[in-house]
Amino acid sequence: MRYPTKYDSFVGLEIHVQLTTESKIFCGCRNRFGDEPNTNVCPVCMGLPGSLPSLNQEAMSKAYLVAKALHCDLADTCLFERKNYFYPDLPKNYQISQFAKPLGTNGWIDIVVDGVTKRVRIHECHLEEDAGKMIHAGDMSLVDYNRTGTPLLEIVTEPDLNLGEEAEILIHELRRIVRYLGVSDGNMDEGSMRCDANVSVNTKGAGLGRKVEVKNLNSSRFVRLSLNYEIDRQTEILEDGGTVVQETRLWNENRDQTIVMRSKENANDYRYFPEPDLPPFRTTPEFLADLETRIVELPLDRRVRLVSTLGISQTQAEVIGEEKANADYFEKVLEYGADGPTVATWMTGDVQKLLNRTGQSAAESPLTPERFAELLTLMAEGKIHGKIAKTILELVFEKNKNPRVIMAEQGLEQMNDSGELAKLVSQVLVDNPVAVEQIKAGDTKPMGFLMGQVMKASGGRAEPGMVQKMLKEHLG
Amino acid sequence: MDIAELYTTAELAQIKLEDSEVESLGGEVSQMVAYFKKMMEVSVDALEPTTHAFIKKNRLRPDTFHPSTLADDILEQSPDLEDRFICIPNVL
Repeated sequence: MRYPTKYDSFVGLEIHVQLTTESKIFCGCRNRFGDEPNTNVCPVCMGLPGSLPSLNQEAMSKAYLVAKALHCDLADTCLFERKNYFYPDLPKNYQISQFAKPLGTNGWIDIVVDGVTKRVRIHECHLEEDAGKMIHAGDMSLVDYNRTGTPLLEIVTEPDLNLGEEAEILIHELRRIVRYLGVSDGNMDEGSMRCDANVSVNTKGAGLGRKVEVKNLNSSRFVRLSLNYEIDRQTEILEDGGTVVQETRLWNENRDQTIVMRSKENANDYRYFPEPDLPPFRTTPEFLADLETRIVELPLDRRVRLVSTLGISQTQAEVIGEEKANADYFEKVLEYGADGPTVATWMTGDVQKLLNRTGQSAAESPLTPERFAELLTLMAEGKIHGKIAKTILELVFEKNKNPRVIMAEQGLEQMNDSGELAKLVSQVLVDNPVAVEQIKAGDTKPMGFLMGQVMKASGGRAEPGMVQKMLKEHLG
Repeated sequence: MDIAELYTTAELAQIKLEDSEVESLGGEVSQMVAYFKKMMEVSVDALEPTTHAFIKKNRLRPDTFHPSTLADDILEQSPDLEDRFICIPNVL
């Protein structure tokens, strides 16, 4: 924003989240990405005459679950309506959606912007069916209806965001939430999370301006870039004394700018009316009780808790808390008595490196939480030092055995016997007279070399602190 | 019904309206709208609003998929195919 003291900018998002279910929302066709075109279609999702929709209960549960996680008022009765428009990816010429009575309203989501928590209000959450997919090729378009009728949750925020960066953060947070809840993979590349945005700029203090809708935002980066582009563009128009035209614009990723898609003078008239083929949905005590069992601690709450109660750093909490499975794994290791900061350091360091190498998640790797804790216990007991611990860690991945067993089998237990160590130190001093002379003459540089020689002679097992102490004793 | 409204409605419904049809259709549509007006006169204050006369319980389906055995038959109805895609004039 070029003139932050002169203008206010407002951004609201409409985020579509594809729900992961076995079947589509109103028919038994498979809900799966990547299948051969037009294989998961039937008379219901293709809108053939005489077919009737029937509501998928899991889609309903998952939709309510997200609304609950977003602190919405949950509708005790919600209604499906027909949204009428003509487009080739919509075979019925209407989309079954929600309008007058969406399943969730008046919610909020917290995001953290530059270390400060910002609350963004959620206007509503409603469930609808997705449309098909089109590929435009030359003078024809190719249509695939596999996605038609898959459950799609639309989340509409209030225009509480001010900049592209905040919108990007919100999308990331929402992605974490739906993944934590296990209702969607939140994958923007594959289109399972999609976003449209409304942007307006107005003179400071004058409230919302005339809004422009931006579409085609298929990555969180494009959301940020396009919104900031729009804020600048609208600011410039106002600065030049002009008026912003209310219109829909498309993000053009090749030119890094938004371009006009259509102007809104022929305002959308979707002629909504209640879907006569579907009765209203009413929540029951059982339905609500089931939601209670499925709700989880939200990702932001969890990150805050990890930092405040377990003493790990913000960055570590972000890495560990990104995926629920990882955070669960982390806390599982702690249940075996390990210390939070130590586990976090290992988990985000050496363990992560090994996982990257093997392409596994922590939970599916040979390093079970129990083994992880055991490795740290061996260190805490003074049986191994850090470098050996790293060796054992690699061997756990390689041999799929417990750290203690590996330590015994490979003879890696730390050498704490001072008699034995003293012998090694004496031998090294005899073998390296030049270094010894140098040190005695006041040049301490070769100290590290001698230290290394002793470690080598012990097969890496000598306790470094003891070696250092002995060398100092000998060389004064 | 106002003629401009009729044209807008036709446009939204993707119906091409000949000028000759406007007069007769305008009258018919007005009649239908008038009927709704008549229904609005009935007092329903004491009734719970509902979209369905009989169904009071949820009608839900368990989330299990069934193989789409009719997919090929449905595709056969399409006048133009490319592999398994349905071909239409470019709408972009």
